Amino acid sequence: MKDHGTFFDFLEVIRRAESGEGMKEADFDKKLGKKVSALMRQYEIRYHPESVIPSDDGLADRVYQAAVDLFLDLGVYCTDTQRVMLFSKEELTWALEHAPQEVRYGREKEIVSVYPRKVEDPRDPVCFFSAVGTPVPEEMFLPIARSYAQEPLADTFSGPLITSYQGIPVTSGSPVEVEAAIWNTQMLREAARQAGRPHIGIHNFQSTGEKTDATIASAQEKFGAFPGDGLLVAAIAEMKVDFERLKKVAFLRQSPYILGALYGPLMGGYAGGPEGTAIALVAHHFLGLLGFSAERHNSFPIHIHYVCNTTREMLWLISMVGQALARNTHLMIVSNAFMASGPCTEMVIDELCAHSLTSTVSGWHLNPSAVAKNRHPMRCSGMEPRIHAEVGHWVTKMGLSRQEANRIALKLIEGYEKNIPEAPIGKLFHECYRMDQIRPTDEYESLFEKRKKEWREIGLEVI
Amino acid sequence: MDLFKAMAEAVIEGDEERTVSLAKEALTKGVPPTEAIEKGFAEGMKEIGRLFDTLEIYLPQVIISADAMTAGVEVFRQHLLGQEEDLPKKTVLLGTIQGDVHDIGKNIVKIMLESNGFKVYDLGRDVPVLNFIEKVKELHPDIVGVSALMTTTMVHMPKLIEALRESGLRANVNIMLGGAPVLPEWAKKIGADGYGASAMEAVRVAKRLAGLQVEEKGEEA
Repeated sequence: MKDHGTFFDFLEVIRRAESGEGMKEADFDKKLGKKVSALMRQYEIRYHPESVIPSDDGLADRVYQAAVDLFLDLGVYCTDTQRVMLFSKEELTWALEHAPQEVRYGREKEIVSVYPRKVEDPRDPVCFFSAVGTPVPEEMFLPIARSYAQEPLADTFSGPLITSYQGIPVTSGSPVEVEAAIWNTQMLREAARQAGRPHIGIHNFQSTGEKTDATIASAQEKFGAFPGDGLLVAAIAEMKVDFERLKKVAFLRQSPYILGALYGPLMGGYAGGPEGTAIALVAHHFLGLLGFSAERHNSFPIHIHYVCNTTREMLWLISMVGQALARNTHLMIVSNAFMASGPCTEMVIDELCAHSLTSTVSGWHLNPSAVAKNRHPMRCSGMEPRIHAEVGHWVTKMGLSRQEANRIALKLIEGYEKNIPEAPIGKLFHECYRMDQIRPTDEYESLFEKRKKEWREIGLEVI
Repeated sequence: MDLFKAMAEAVIEGDEERTVSLAKEALTKGVPPTEAIEKGFAEGMKEIGRLFDTLEIYLPQVIISADAMTAGVEVFRQHLLGQEEDLPKKTVLLGTIQGDVHDIGKNIVKIMLESNGFKVYDLGRDVPVLNFIEKVKELHPDIVGVSALMTTTMVHMPKLIEALRESGLRANVNIMLGGAPVLPEWAKKIGADGYGASAMEAVRVAKRLAGLQVEEKGEEA
């Protein structure tokens, strides 16, 4: 069982949610924007479009310090009680010192140890293959989930989601949500079995059920959720939590499942541009650590208009946050890839490459990938995380520095950035996979091979 | 007219004191409030919307400008209190659908709609279908705007449209949808009148649905 002594007292979190200073939500949002803006000036944090992977350690440390100031001054907003939870510097320091330094996913031969990565870490990143909740029909769930689980570089996996179950729409809070959630867990474990990896860790075994009751209902060994699997709990918006999320925390703290926190601030939103959102995203890790008792941390910052994180500003933000945390904490941090374009396009291959090399050299583990702006049904496959993970492994084998990675990233960005607003949505799963074998089509694999050869010209020596 | 230009600039700069003083100046000079708002403040907000669309500015600046405009408009509203004339407003009933607590997108749309002259009734997040129906009966909005971030909550959107039909309210109200999993073709399929992929597009669609002038083409459901 978990050692609760290493986390901040969860009941105290609830007390503060009930007794903290009352504040209108809109005032909290405005305070966030003002604080972040002031901290950017105070710490001289500036985004530079030609340096998407900065090699400036001082800048990374200033982003970190600004985030500490933001967290201590702003606190965390609970939308159910409309109160602000504040934490002291001593509490934050204690929590950071006592944060876990290892979590293990999977069982038997599939055990994977997640560790705190460093900037330019020569060790391979752990790769969490994920369909990031892409909507799919019920009959396609299993083959698609299998396409992720069977990939050799998949250290763990998770699945898409279904929008109807046995012909009934899966509606939040309804009985069918519970039924579908249980089915979701069962099918993921079945996908692992069909992939020949029955003991592989499922880092988020619930994506169809969203409500806490549905999530808890599905969390049983008889459905395929074992110790060494996990669930993700998300902050609902910038520096905000609610009781629905905190209920999941209450359950997970007493369960054998690994609790990953999930943060997705909008770049361009309440925290402002890339600099402000970088500060806010680092501060979210403190929210997850103190508020959620998070054992590890997932980030998916996204562009407010383009719903991806492969633009120039987004890659800078990802790099800065990774470096800030990797240099100043031993938190285990994971970078979620959100692509503008869809499967089986040259653009998605380049976006995946840019995101992966940026994340890998900046201290992150990898969580590929949402594609086609994560909104088009059936546009996802195990091939995209394969591309992303392969790049991550090459980066460590090559021993790429931030400077070298920056030069390559800029070349890639120059090629695709103009197409981001109207990015091609690519192909449906069954159009880019051979359904009889659940393997990528020759077209898709050839496209990747072609890009690999071309990447050599920009300095990415593919092994 | 320099006054209108100054009013627009005050909004762009988010200078609340200046929008208030310029509104008072407009009243002193006998400029009709609707004209001052349309040619002054609204022009400034239009520029803010453009800058936000291209991310030359970010949401905090939009909020500051919107607050400055609201303060200025309030001067006109106070002036018109008790008079028969009032500022004309098209109304939008806005909310995040039942089961969904993710409301950042809806909040941004609210800011942009208010900045473009709409009266917005914000029902908040996780709004049951029946609450929408009751509020439509009570407030008679021109538009009902609904957002969802999850596939498990967007399924309530067709239920809302059906409930409006069953209540005999559908013919008198326009329905506009938005949110990450909502696609324009799906919005059209379930019978919505409009779809906005972004806050600015939502404004363009709302203007079209409300019969107001639209300068740029919005995406139709």
